[in-house]
Amino acid sequence: MKVLLVEDNERVTRFVVKGLQEAGHVADHADNGRDGMFLAASEPYDVIIMDRMLPGQIDGLAIIEALRKSGNRTPILILSALSDVDERIKGLKSGGDDYLTKPFAFGELLARLDALSRRVQGSGTQTSLRVGDLHVDLLSRKASRGTRSIALQPQEFKLLEYLMRHAGQVVTRTMLLENVWDYHFDPQTNVVDVHISKLRQKIESDSERPLLRTVRNAGYMLTADE
Amino acid sequence: MNKFLRSSAFTLAFGYVVFGIAALILFAAPLWYAYYVTLQDARREGLRTDAQRLSEIFRRQGVSGLSTYIDNRVGMQIPGERILLFADSKLHPMSGNLPEWPAAVPSEPGEYDLPITLAGVHTRAMFVEDVLPGDYRLLVGRDQSLFAPLASRFWIGLSAAIAVLSIAGVVGGLMIRRAVLLRVDGIHNTVQAIVRGDWSHRLPTKAASDELNTLSMTINGMLDQIEQLLHGVRDVSNSIAHDLRTPLAELRSRLEELSLTRPNPEETFAEIDDAVVDVDRVILIFNALLRLAEIDTGMRRSGFVPVNAADVARQAVDFYLPAAELKGVTLSYRGTGPAHISGDPVLLAQAIGNLIDNALKYTSGGGAITVEVRDLGGSRIQITVADDGPGIPDEEKPKVSARFYRGDASRGTPGVGLGLTLVASVAKVHGGALELGDNHPGLRANMIIAVHTAGALQPIVGDADRTEAIGYQPATSVAADDAGSLGRGATVDQVPAPVGDESALRANAGGIPSATSDAAAHNLRIRSVS
Repeated sequence: MKVLLVEDNERVTRFVVKGLQEAGHVADHADNGRDGMFLAASEPYDVIIMDRMLPGQIDGLAIIEALRKSGNRTPILILSALSDVDERIKGLKSGGDDYLTKPFAFGELLARLDALSRRVQGSGTQTSLRVGDLHVDLLSRKASRGTRSIALQPQEFKLLEYLMRHAGQVVTRTMLLENVWDYHFDPQTNVVDVHISKLRQKIESDSERPLLRTVRNAGYMLTADE
Repeated sequence: MNKFLRSSAFTLAFGYVVFGIAALILFAAPLWYAYYVTLQDARREGLRTDAQRLSEIFRRQGVSGLSTYIDNRVGMQIPGERILLFADSKLHPMSGNLPEWPAAVPSEPGEYDLPITLAGVHTRAMFVEDVLPGDYRLLVGRDQSLFAPLASRFWIGLSAAIAVLSIAGVVGGLMIRRAVLLRVDGIHNTVQAIVRGDWSHRLPTKAASDELNTLSMTINGMLDQIEQLLHGVRDVSNSIAHDLRTPLAELRSRLEELSLTRPNPEETFAEIDDAVVDVDRVILIFNALLRLAEIDTGMRRSGFVPVNAADVARQAVDFYLPAAELKGVTLSYRGTGPAHISGDPVLLAQAIGNLIDNALKYTSGGGAITVEVRDLGGSRIQITVADDGPGIPDEEKPKVSARFYRGDASRGTPGVGLGLTLVASVAKVHGGALELGDNHPGLRANMIIAVHTAGALQPIVGDADRTEAIGYQPATSVAADDAGSLGRGATVDQVPAPVGDESALRANAGGIPSATSDAAAHNLRIRSVS
């Protein structure tokens, strides 16, 4: 994954670039709006991380608007210390695809970047999803593993569907809360983990290979890989 | 008296009196002038007629005839008789009621109005003087002092009117001062007490709804609001001092110890991981405080949309159900159909979630929690979360409103003590209140919400805006999951739903376009950009 980071804070830049490199990604970096604009327009990136308040007369939202006007569809994650609802709306309206508030955890950033970059590739209507021998039919809303059919509550089905759409990616608790339950606040309990362990019991019987993994310091990942 | 002279009531009364007198004089002066001139003309005319008649007698009957006529007329002693004098060319009187020709009157014929001395008395008189054939002189006049009482009566009347006006003004001023200025003084004293820092004072109000009373009530409302905001600010500073310092101190000593002792890498990494957890806790509290401040200042009211509270409650029950099952607690929803209100779905979900979380924390295995949404009628709905846990003693109920308040029963459980504060704030911003009751045994937390609250600031329950928000234990808890929660509390999780009128915008935020179910899509639509 080739990532462009437009951010003026040195420390945050170092932290993110290093983290991305360690995760096996290529990261370019611009520390002002003009350079960021130039790089974003001239190089092909899988995803762009954009700070909102930048030096150099041009702020993050203006860059995003300009890119979108010129037909650039690269997924953009806005990174900002402005956490107001209004600010978030402004960011998404300008053409951003996701909004992450500072301070943030690197695991969260990485998971969201992953989700953004793959969304472009995997778009198109699907009627069924498959991870290993786990199969989900989106039309009849039925799940099965091998020949064993799995009975799921509507909410469990939604959770599984989301995990399967992001198979092989780390999915954070916040992402699950936002996308499965539409909760845009932190319920500050481990309820998500309880939901996950309940789902895990249903999709993984004792004899079957584990599919749903807990990723330390980040969240969960559904994968058939070893 | 000095104070009275300086009061605005006196200034007002004095002004009105002066104005009244001026108006009176302006009215009386032209009247008097017109009256006076008309009267003088009439008198002069009378004198002329008289003089003509006497001239006629002289022409017909000669000198002796006129003399006889005048003598006869004077002899009749008519009261208010005119001055009559018939004299020869040398001005020697021949007949009349004057002993001699008055020195002040010239010998030429004409009409005069001049001061004169008659029988030793100084007065003013009007004369018509004619010259008769043979150079005889005829003088007909009238003593003006006869009319003096008329003028003096006019002036006395005017003075009396002015006096009455002045007295009425002074008395009126005194009465206005008594009736109004004393109340203004009351307001003044109250405000001064408040300026000195005593916020318990409020302006005196009466049942009557005059302007001053209405003003007082408005000011009282403003004072309530200011006091509340003041408390909010004080609360926040206390909270920051109290609850942010502790984890920060912990973090600092952890890092300092690390720097001093320089343990082996493995221990170092473990310490760093713990330090990150400390930071996350600080961020969590910080976000919660900001969110409370955001709600308390009423900023979120602009995001109100039509929302079905029953749906929100049912979804919250679904969300917490596995956690309840894990604990062996029965969690159920009881509702009587939809409950449409105008509100902020994100805040409502968080508040109901906090109540359920709170109940879960204090209900032991085998217990039951019931969530109920009821239409109370009168444009109110009630969201109840009832448990059969230990409840809280009555004397503790009012205290739990305080931020970071943690009841004795909550010692040893995780939490920062902001959960019920948030619930109370959410209820308030929706024009309602949080009430804590007894469930025999257990606790009934009733969140009362007004159906139509858009723009309405009036509390719907009694004295709700002065009622302390109540709650018994913190509903919040720091994530206790063993998997570690790097993303938790440190990201957008405190940021409510992106407000988008198209689901694409919403889906963008989550990163998944089609995973949103109908229910979620419904929730998306309930917020719109305002």
